Amino acid sequence: MNFKCPVCKKEWNSSLQVARHMFGTGDKPHKAWVDEQGKTQGFTFIDLMIEQATTPGNKSYVMLAEVIEKAQDKL
Amino acid sequence: MNKYTVINPHSEFKVINTHIHNIDGMAKVTGRATYTFDVKLPNMLYGKILRSPHAHAKILKIDYSRAMELPGVIGVVTGKEDTLGIKQGIWRRYQDLCDEQVLPVDKVRYIGEPVAAVAAITEEIAEKALDYIDVDYEVLPGVFEPLDAIKKEAPEIHEGFERNINVTRHIEWGDVEEAFEEAEYIREDWFKCGGQAHMCMETRAAVSSYTPDGKLTIYHSNQSPYYMQGLMAGVLGMREGDIRVISTYVGGGFGGKFELDGAIFCSAVLSKKLFRPVKIVFTREEDFIATKRRTPMFYYVRTGVKKDGTFCAREAKVFTNGGAYTGMGATALYLTGFFHSFPYRWKGYRYDGYRVYTNTLPSTSMRGFGAPQAMFCSEQQIEWIAADLGLDPIDMRRKNSHHEGYEVPGQATIASCGIDQCYDEIRKWIKDKGKLPANRAIGISACGFMSGGIFNWFDTPYSFSSAVVTINQDGTVELFVGAQEIGQGSNTTLAIICAEALGVRVEDIKVHSGDTDYCPPDLGAWGSRQTLMAGNAVKMAAEDAKKQLLEFAYAQSGYNIVYDMDIKDRWVHAIARPERGYDFGELVKKAIRGKDGQKIVGRGYYTPHRKGMISPAYSYMLQGVEVEVDEETGKIKLVDSMTAHDCGQPINHLGLIGQLEGAFSMAAGYGYLEYMPYEDGKLMNPNLVDYKMIRATEMPPANIAEIDTYEPEGPYGAKEAGEGLTNPTAAAIGNALFHRFGIQMKENPIRPEMILNALKEKKEKEQGKKGKK
Repeated sequence: MNFKCPVCKKEWNSSLQVARHMFGTGDKPHKAWVDEQGKTQGFTFIDLMIEQATTPGNKSYVMLAEVIEKAQDKL
Repeated sequence: MNKYTVINPHSEFKVINTHIHNIDGMAKVTGRATYTFDVKLPNMLYGKILRSPHAHAKILKIDYSRAMELPGVIGVVTGKEDTLGIKQGIWRRYQDLCDEQVLPVDKVRYIGEPVAAVAAITEEIAEKALDYIDVDYEVLPGVFEPLDAIKKEAPEIHEGFERNINVTRHIEWGDVEEAFEEAEYIREDWFKCGGQAHMCMETRAAVSSYTPDGKLTIYHSNQSPYYMQGLMAGVLGMREGDIRVISTYVGGGFGGKFELDGAIFCSAVLSKKLFRPVKIVFTREEDFIATKRRTPMFYYVRTGVKKDGTFCAREAKVFTNGGAYTGMGATALYLTGFFHSFPYRWKGYRYDGYRVYTNTLPSTSMRGFGAPQAMFCSEQQIEWIAADLGLDPIDMRRKNSHHEGYEVPGQATIASCGIDQCYDEIRKWIKDKGKLPANRAIGISACGFMSGGIFNWFDTPYSFSSAVVTINQDGTVELFVGAQEIGQGSNTTLAIICAEALGVRVEDIKVHSGDTDYCPPDLGAWGSRQTLMAGNAVKMAAEDAKKQLLEFAYAQSGYNIVYDMDIKDRWVHAIARPERGYDFGELVKKAIRGKDGQKIVGRGYYTPHRKGMISPAYSYMLQGVEVEVDEETGKIKLVDSMTAHDCGQPINHLGLIGQLEGAFSMAAGYGYLEYMPYEDGKLMNPNLVDYKMIRATEMPPANIAEIDTYEPEGPYGAKEAGEGLTNPTAAAIGNALFHRFGIQMKENPIRPEMILNALKEKKEKEQGKKGKK
């Protein structure tokens, strides 16, 4: 199954790669989408990015990937 | 005495692969070479720049009326009154990253940032006038370290960059988690890499002359006249063609001279305002505090390997101290992540890089472009892993190294790679050394580097490199290139390639470079791109001219069967009958007559296509250093060194040796001497007394074993030489200390006090253990 970026609709075969793409792009629309999702779940784009940067592992990406997976139905 | 040996030498060439002195050497050693400092124009004024004493402040008001009253002062310019206030940067496609006004309008972001510039009839008067310019600032809180700048409460340096994160870069391949699971041993470390000043012999300098017909001529010390022309046109609101940039002789660049600096910008703005030529030459102190530096970095590295030394996975997280503006630092952020994987094969690799704004001097590209930092961390950690697992560090490296045909997943294909033979040569050198005295040890480090980047950050429609070859009626050849000679010897290298391709001698070639009115566009001297990229353009232009000549030779020959013809050493001949032919000069004269008097003109260009994400080709090297340590003082002395190096086909052995020795000297300085301490954003040692560089007497022998491979993408098989060797030395020094004392150096430059502290800590630990027993 392919996963779409909820902002620019580019596709990858893993939601983790979509998450990585969203962090890597980091432009205003991508940031805004993550921030919007975070309103209810208590995170922001920049929080996730700094968490990713300062702790080992891939926690932020995994967390965003789960959000992306849940959003696929609406795309 | 340095030793230089060549492994796998080729001998098919007439001109390349020989020892040729720099073609501009005579002009330089006799003092006839004109640098920007030497330029004098009629009616010329001298400019000086007023600089910010604050790391972060709003500019409320600038009053220069008192300065204008000083006899001899002709004019003052400020960002608000005399510039268009355009934000500029090299990444023209990404406007967010074009964040710098060379004369800021409303805010300063580092100590030393230009605030106003004055022109006077003498340099002394201009300097004095700076004291008479009154600036009202509203001082803002500053932040100086990246890990502080990302905190929630940190001051905002640029609007819209949350938590001061300037740029992020991510590289990943393979399933990193799975690859870590396969690992039987995982090690993680934090490192801190320092900044480094470029320390060009020639400080930044410019002479600008704007004339009433709307044309601007600029003499400027830079690495890319074409960039300067384009950037200046953008900030001054002029057409590129109305600006001529001349930079004939340049006294070094090392990555610091292809962005706009205060000298070029302020002299041009003053000249536009006053209609007189204006010269600005930076003092050494200005060069320290107001030009950019090597990017300081914080590195987290986690590496997973199998017990037999097979590399599985690596994860790196990097914070770079970006300083006040983006400049070329965004590229350094990407390249440090890419080269951190080098020269090894990783099943899973992940890099997350964060460039953070701070209120310090901006950081940018510098020889090695992010790779010296990467290798300092990577190559030491690899050594420690080998020791942890009880493995031979050379064998472990060799087992995991790149090889010809290897693909760095999604990033690059390695078409030529001589690193395997590098391991043999270093092993041989270590063996020949025998038993070392007690206070000495050998450390080694491997690395690889690019032959020019495939990055069109300047967003130009022109080719990456271009060249024009014109043959005169007397057989002399004019070679026009956009590539910039900055002391690295590129004009000599390109003359050699032209002579080889055309079949003439180096003394027949006159190279024209560094003038945007006469030379074709080229992205400039950075990222080791001159030999491969400009070299390909020159080869193509020379072959185009040669083809035109040979067409005439075929027609002239009157042979009744078809012979392939060639030109070697000024002799135009049938390949199968080399004794039958024509003198090159005579044939040229006839060909020009035959073409109704038109000169023979060949054109060449090069832009890499389908060559991966980073570069068309990669050089490889392994370095060993013998280090002596004084345990009382912690002082390091380099005793000997050996570099096994693969740059494809060497073009000029003398040039190659010079480049490798220069890179080694700079890299050694980065490893243990060149330190840039800041206090509240202020550099504490902006002079050549307190900033320690390696001196001639401290240079150890720089022995070289050159492994000649053939790079299919390079001209005659050539690739990078000279920049890449800035990368391994710091780690090699660290590794020597590890072998001598068992201490792990996680910060560079490795200063004496760090060694003493590490030794003390180690002693205390050992005593603690004994006590417990």
